[in-house]
Amino acid sequence: MDNSIIVSTPPHVKSKRTTRGIMLDVVIALLPCAICGIVYFGWRAAVLEITCVLSCVCTEFVYYFIANGGFAKKCSNAGAVCRKWLKQFDFTSVVTGLILALIISSETQWYEALIGGIFAIAIVKMLFGGTGKNLVNPAAAARIFLLLSFSTTMSRYVAPVFGPILSGGEVFTGVSVLGGLLKNPAYPQFSQPTVMIDNLNLFLGTGVAGCIGETCKLAIIIGFIYLCVRKVIKWWQPVLFLAIFGFTSVIALGFLFPAYTFDINLFLPSILSGGAMFAAVFMFTDYVTSPKCVWGQLVYYVVGAILFAVMRVLTRIEVASYIILIMNLIVPLIDKYVLRKPFGYVKEKKIKEGK
Amino acid sequence: MKAERGKFFFGGVHPHDMKSLSSGKPTERMPIPDRVEISTSQSLGKPAVPIVEVGVEVKCGQLIARADGPISSDVFASISGTVEAIRDGFGANGAPEKFIVIKGNGKEETDFLPPITDPSPDQIRDRIREAGIVGLGGAGFPTAVKVSPRSPVDTLILNGAECEPYLTCDHRLMLENPEEILRGAEYLARALGVRTVIIGIEKNKPDCIAVFEKYDRLKTVALKKKYPMGGEKQLIYVTTGRKVGIGKLPADSGVVVENVATAYAVCQAVEKGVPLIERVLTVTGKAVKEPKNLWVRVGTSIQSIIEFCGGEAEKPVKAVQGGPMTGLALASYDAFTHKTTSGLLLMTKEEASADEPTPCLNCGKCSDVCPMRLMPMNTAFYANAGDFEAAAKYGGTLACIECGACEYICPAKRPLIQAIRRTKAELRKKK
Repeated sequence: MDNSIIVSTPPHVKSKRTTRGIMLDVVIALLPCAICGIVYFGWRAAVLEITCVLSCVCTEFVYYFIANGGFAKKCSNAGAVCRKWLKQFDFTSVVTGLILALIISSETQWYEALIGGIFAIAIVKMLFGGTGKNLVNPAAAARIFLLLSFSTTMSRYVAPVFGPILSGGEVFTGVSVLGGLLKNPAYPQFSQPTVMIDNLNLFLGTGVAGCIGETCKLAIIIGFIYLCVRKVIKWWQPVLFLAIFGFTSVIALGFLFPAYTFDINLFLPSILSGGAMFAAVFMFTDYVTSPKCVWGQLVYYVVGAILFAVMRVLTRIEVASYIILIMNLIVPLIDKYVLRKPFGYVKEKKIKEGK
Repeated sequence: MKAERGKFFFGGVHPHDMKSLSSGKPTERMPIPDRVEISTSQSLGKPAVPIVEVGVEVKCGQLIARADGPISSDVFASISGTVEAIRDGFGANGAPEKFIVIKGNGKEETDFLPPITDPSPDQIRDRIREAGIVGLGGAGFPTAVKVSPRSPVDTLILNGAECEPYLTCDHRLMLENPEEILRGAEYLARALGVRTVIIGIEKNKPDCIAVFEKYDRLKTVALKKKYPMGGEKQLIYVTTGRKVGIGKLPADSGVVVENVATAYAVCQAVEKGVPLIERVLTVTGKAVKEPKNLWVRVGTSIQSIIEFCGGEAEKPVKAVQGGPMTGLALASYDAFTHKTTSGLLLMTKEEASADEPTPCLNCGKCSDVCPMRLMPMNTAFYANAGDFEAAAKYGGTLACIECGACEYICPAKRPLIQAIRRTKAELRKKK
């Protein structure tokens, strides 16, 4: 009898799912959006995607290398630290980098994207303790950081290479994400539409200027279905979010513009424009920064959707990242007060009455 | 009676059940060992007190240690021979236990209790206590206590779910001895004074469902294959729709749950006077040469059982006593079977998980699969920080049934059950 037998607490069998596997699934789910971005916005999008992912992964490596004493022992330790890093590498930084690339405009400079990636990983994620410890979504925080630092390039949106299909007409230029919504026939108060954008064009992102990955809704839905099939996210989370978001938008627009009071036709343009759908599928569902239990998640999605819709109508800019940041900061509070009742739980009052 | 469909319970996981390794193997009787070491800790309560001395001749079935307290159970000699020693040792869970070592004399001398025909409820209750019967599902709660409930009971549920992966001992027993199980259940029902008897069987054992469907004396419920379907509270809910409150006993909801193997033991004790000296044990896992279902005497050494099954096919990574979800990992083969040992698993590297834990992702999967609707990640978080009261408050730890579903599903491979057990132990210490 040698001591090669492992003694541990049960269970002795575990599922094959690992953190790395789940994050790889998210990367796969993001690929349709990434590819669509390149097709729609050309080589600039490809450069930005690669820059963001590389800068995130490299930042994580450098941070890990320094934190684990890679420099301390005259590099004799360096090989071991690298192997250790590879062993614990779980694709979270790839996900962060890819999401960041997909929520910025294709007009962003490559060095701006590089700085965004460094900010997302070093400041937002690693300083708080790495995977699973970050308080807010790194990609959302980095986007806001870039928006504040490089507001000119970040808020300049170009139209994709494909023009609007079916309806024909000229391509929008210089229209912001929300421009897609505002130039919609449904919102004539905001501007005189030169081209009518219908729901199909909004859905495919043809002729609508916007961020690299947020434009083509079809690609997002493919990613959403993949995530659901792989059971990475629960299908009801984005669906509930978008449903409440859409209805709240309708109501909020109705209050602001009496001419279009509670027009249900505003529902689809609301959820199809801007970054709402991308945020609902890939950013609100982020494990680390969303509540732990089902009831908490319900509160999170409902409050997030209402806040998002109201703020978007009021501010008339794309506020997805800000709302994600605000909701992320509320999550610890939700986690503290929204708990599940155990199976067979009886209210204390009832027990007293019973006695 | 046609099998009914069981209800659905919240949560649960679907581990690969691996039952095909041994489910087709009929039970075999292992040759009577020439030496047994019988632990006096055979039930949930205090260990029994030895009443034999070193050098005394004992017969098979003779009482060798008397129960100490209500939740303790009597211990019997499982072979005839001489008491060689009474030594201190360690059980599979690492707790100190006392072992009575009996060296066999090769004879088949028995000293059983007198059989009873047409017993009265009191006679059955006495016999269950005299025969030292404990719940054979794994926890080892004395059956004598269960058949004298504090509150009125109207239903007896037989647990034939066997939701643990790998184990097939109940499956084989139900297939080979349905009559005995049924008669045992009827004795139990008579002792409890209940009319309704329900047997719950998971759908991955269609042959067992077919066998029990033929009988009109009990209701068969076909259960969805899901772990932990055989958990007491889950089983009561899926078969009767009743919920058992936290910190309450099933009897408070008018139900008593017994394992099918326990019912079989009751039948043997009443009709033949045989105390609990042997049980069916599944020896399985990919590291065993020939997986088998064996009738094994209490106190048989693990080493000899493995040798009987052809030895190791390859070097195991883990040796588990019991099922893979709740069983105890053995440190060596120098251990002995108990009344509650339902399985012996030798797991290869690909079967057993030995992954290093990675940081918690906060994904909430542990909470999603928890059959008790608890929040294990909170328990683990606060227990790591040393705040055990917060761990119990935010994780609901005290209601935990330690089924292991949370740790099974955890993508970060966090040691959740360890944290839960630690929290429970620390809180017990404080009381």
